[in-house]
Amino acid sequence: MKTRALLVGLILIPVAAFAAEPSSVSPDPKLAAMLDAKDENGKPIITPEQRAYFDGLNDNLKGLLNQAVQKERITRPQHLALFLALGLRPQKMELVLQNNCILCHTDSEAQSAEDLFTPTSNPPAHMNLKEIVDDVHFRHGVSCAGCHGGDATADMGHAFVKEWPESNREKNRAWVVQFCARCHSDPAFMHDFNPSLPTDQLAKFKDSPHGRTLLEKHDDRAPSCVSCHGVHGIRPAKDPLSKVYAQRVPETCGACHADAKIMAGFTRADGSPLPITQLAEYRTSVHGRALLERGDLGAPVCNTCHGNHAASPPGVAQVSRSCSLCHSANASLFDGSKHKQAFDQHNWPECGKCHGNHAIAKTHDSMLATGPGQLCGDCHRQYANNPDCIPTADYFRDTIAKMDAARNNFSAVSERLAAKGLDIEPINNQLTDLTDALKKSRTYVHSFSRNTFQQVAMPGEQAVQSTDSLIQKAQEEYKYRQIGLAASIAVIGLLMLATYLKLRQLEK
Amino acid sequence: MFEFLRHKEVPLGSHWMGWYYLGGITMFFFVVQVITGVLLLMYYQPGEATAYESIRFLTTKVPFGWLIRSVHSWSAHLMIISLVLHMFSTMMLKAYRPPRELTWVSGYLLFLLTLGFGFSGYLLPWNKLAYFATTVGTNIVRSVPLLGNWLLEVMRGGQDVTINTLYRFFAAHVVILPLAFVGLIAMHLLFIQRQGMALPVGAKTAPRGMKFFPSFALRDVLLWMACLMVLATLAVFLPYGPGIPGMDWELGQKADPFAPAYPGIKPEWYFLWEYQLLKEFPPHLFGLEGPQVCLLLIALLFGIWAIIPWLDRRAFRDKPSPAFSDLGWAAILFLVYLTLTGWDIGAGGASSDLAAIQHSARVCAWWTLAAGAVVVVFRFLRYEHRWFFLTGAALLQAALHGLVGISYLLAGVISVALAAVAIAIRRVLFPQANEKDVT
Repeated sequence: MKTRALLVGLILIPVAAFAAEPSSVSPDPKLAAMLDAKDENGKPIITPEQRAYFDGLNDNLKGLLNQAVQKERITRPQHLALFLALGLRPQKMELVLQNNCILCHTDSEAQSAEDLFTPTSNPPAHMNLKEIVDDVHFRHGVSCAGCHGGDATADMGHAFVKEWPESNREKNRAWVVQFCARCHSDPAFMHDFNPSLPTDQLAKFKDSPHGRTLLEKHDDRAPSCVSCHGVHGIRPAKDPLSKVYAQRVPETCGACHADAKIMAGFTRADGSPLPITQLAEYRTSVHGRALLERGDLGAPVCNTCHGNHAASPPGVAQVSRSCSLCHSANASLFDGSKHKQAFDQHNWPECGKCHGNHAIAKTHDSMLATGPGQLCGDCHRQYANNPDCIPTADYFRDTIAKMDAARNNFSAVSERLAAKGLDIEPINNQLTDLTDALKKSRTYVHSFSRNTFQQVAMPGEQAVQSTDSLIQKAQEEYKYRQIGLAASIAVIGLLMLATYLKLRQLEK
Repeated sequence: MFEFLRHKEVPLGSHWMGWYYLGGITMFFFVVQVITGVLLLMYYQPGEATAYESIRFLTTKVPFGWLIRSVHSWSAHLMIISLVLHMFSTMMLKAYRPPRELTWVSGYLLFLLTLGFGFSGYLLPWNKLAYFATTVGTNIVRSVPLLGNWLLEVMRGGQDVTINTLYRFFAAHVVILPLAFVGLIAMHLLFIQRQGMALPVGAKTAPRGMKFFPSFALRDVLLWMACLMVLATLAVFLPYGPGIPGMDWELGQKADPFAPAYPGIKPEWYFLWEYQLLKEFPPHLFGLEGPQVCLLLIALLFGIWAIIPWLDRRAFRDKPSPAFSDLGWAAILFLVYLTLTGWDIGAGGASSDLAAIQHSARVCAWWTLAAGAVVVVFRFLRYEHRWFFLTGAALLQAALHGLVGISYLLAGVISVALAAVAIAIRRVLFPQANEKDVT
């Protein structure tokens, strides 16, 4: 009996201990008073949800809250409510409660509106409390003092802003890049935080048109780090809320490049004014729609072609390099084509000449049309006298059009045959081959060579013939079924007639 | 035996003798099922990696494999249609009167087994639609009070629909159910042969008779040949069924237990009324879960249907029992309204949208009311029926739910209560009225 009681006790004690894990730290009397405080209407200032959050805090966090109240960093129930309402995870809450800068700069009674961190988005964005607690620097422990100086964990001592330019820092923003680069250009320092993060941003930036405009011409319209990355709410580029997340990059770049006022006076290498239509064009382009409408993060965005810290417009020679990052097969075929030499002679941007740049539209077989006012035809009549060119383009277009029409027709017929219960697997296999050949043919147009094109188009033409033959076979099979049915019905009908006649005879 | 057949006669009277052929037609379709089922069995391989593939091979590569599967599927549906018609004709003609109570019960059990055939056969191709429909269908069993979870595990061979479920359903479909069916059909036929065809209510002897052999038997054969023609035509021109939900057997994609269930899964058409009735119940009712109450109601309805020969006391005494004729028509209209709404008739498939559901209920109510009106007028003029309380209740429920928009259950309670009050008033005010009723 005793042994059984002992065993039960041994089991129950740890279970009870585990179940009764709540905090052993009791709130400081001041803190307790704040938690129970009521407003002038007798309503609790700390809401039940905030209270529940407080009750769920671990001992360490409750101790830090006690300490903050004792040291009068938190002086009022409303101030306490502000932290509890954030509902932060324990790790983040610990960072906040250890940070004296945040504790003081969130007290609306002690701070001016300009210096106040609030959780609302109403004050200037760079003083938003919700943003700062999600900041990548803050999360890695580089908090206020990391940039502003001083020691945020020590008692107040205003050694702030000692590392900042003393004067002119509002007017000339060139110092910002140097300021960020103190850490971001130091490989040894950055290694402790993120070993894979590059440290050449400043070097690249200095060489870029942005960098030269800001650092050499001291033109404040040029962007600095904070223009793209933000100030207190900086997030990693992979974070969808980051201003440099792929889907937000067009807006971030467009904030300046689509603004006529900001872009006024900036020119291209040839002296013509820098356009402000890129963002609008990009949104309607095949790339823009893929990224912004379909959410395809593989689609190119501004920095894919222009670079980011070293952002610059690609020169004529670099356009094809940018495109070939993704469209390697097309670029490779183009490089081996006669067009390459001709385009180089005319100094034409290779891909851009036919496809455009920011407003790249979905390609269409009609681009191969040779009539007046059409892409191939117009260019060749003006610049090339080779009599083979126009027939070759016509051959490309006709071959592709035939394969495309055949594929569409066969797909529809195949669906109808499937509904009739016929085996369409062999037809679908041939259609897959045809689709592959069609895709390849469209790519091999970029060889601008009839022989090269023929090598990939021929399997497609064979697939057209095979599919046609299979469809005819399936249709014959269906006819055979119908004839079989008619014969069966005729036989059954005759049997019925014979049975009926026999029945009549018997009943007579 | 030969002597027995030679002297056997089928009674002819004032009623249409076409109803007598429905049993034979049902049996014809069953024989087709057995023959095509055995042919399918030669190629079908139950198993995770073989069930779907073997059916696919059968329908695409085996000569006439497509025809065998198509005939098997069509014949299954036609068998259920003829069985339902057979059962309702028996009900309307009161052919369950003594001494034929056990013929009714054996027929009723055959009907349940046929539904079992349909349910178990549906999963065997192991395709996506069958997998999810079986998941939804077997899940209903969970709501059976007390035994729900145990029954579910017995049916599924585990908590989920897996290949173990397929093995169970396969065994049930090709061994257990056929054995039970053949036994019951033998009993059913024995009863019919011993007791003969039922006479119309009140008739002591048939005014005339038809020799079973050869006259009736050859007519049976003629009809079977006509059915074979229809079956072959349907199998060739609509090899995957008419393409309506619950009557579509295109193989589609292989079952994938990890794929998300897609919306709009519906059971076979003969289970649609139960599926719709389940949807009409609230989550909780009378302290029980809604589906539990619904299952109890369905069990009650099936129970009543099984013991109708003993409930119909007037038919028992060979007297007209208009209330039970009306009950049969009311049951048909009740099933029609639920089946039509289960089919989302008029909703354009957007069953999740409240407006579409209301629109569908409205359209289905109009169809049911139209069908009900035709039935009432026909019965009034052709058979001089004057007892329409239960038909009226079924139509009133459809109208209150579909046209007025009140909940299906409340509409049912109001309709049944009003019918009960009307019957009570009639009994008090016209106590002799029942004696004048016909059939």
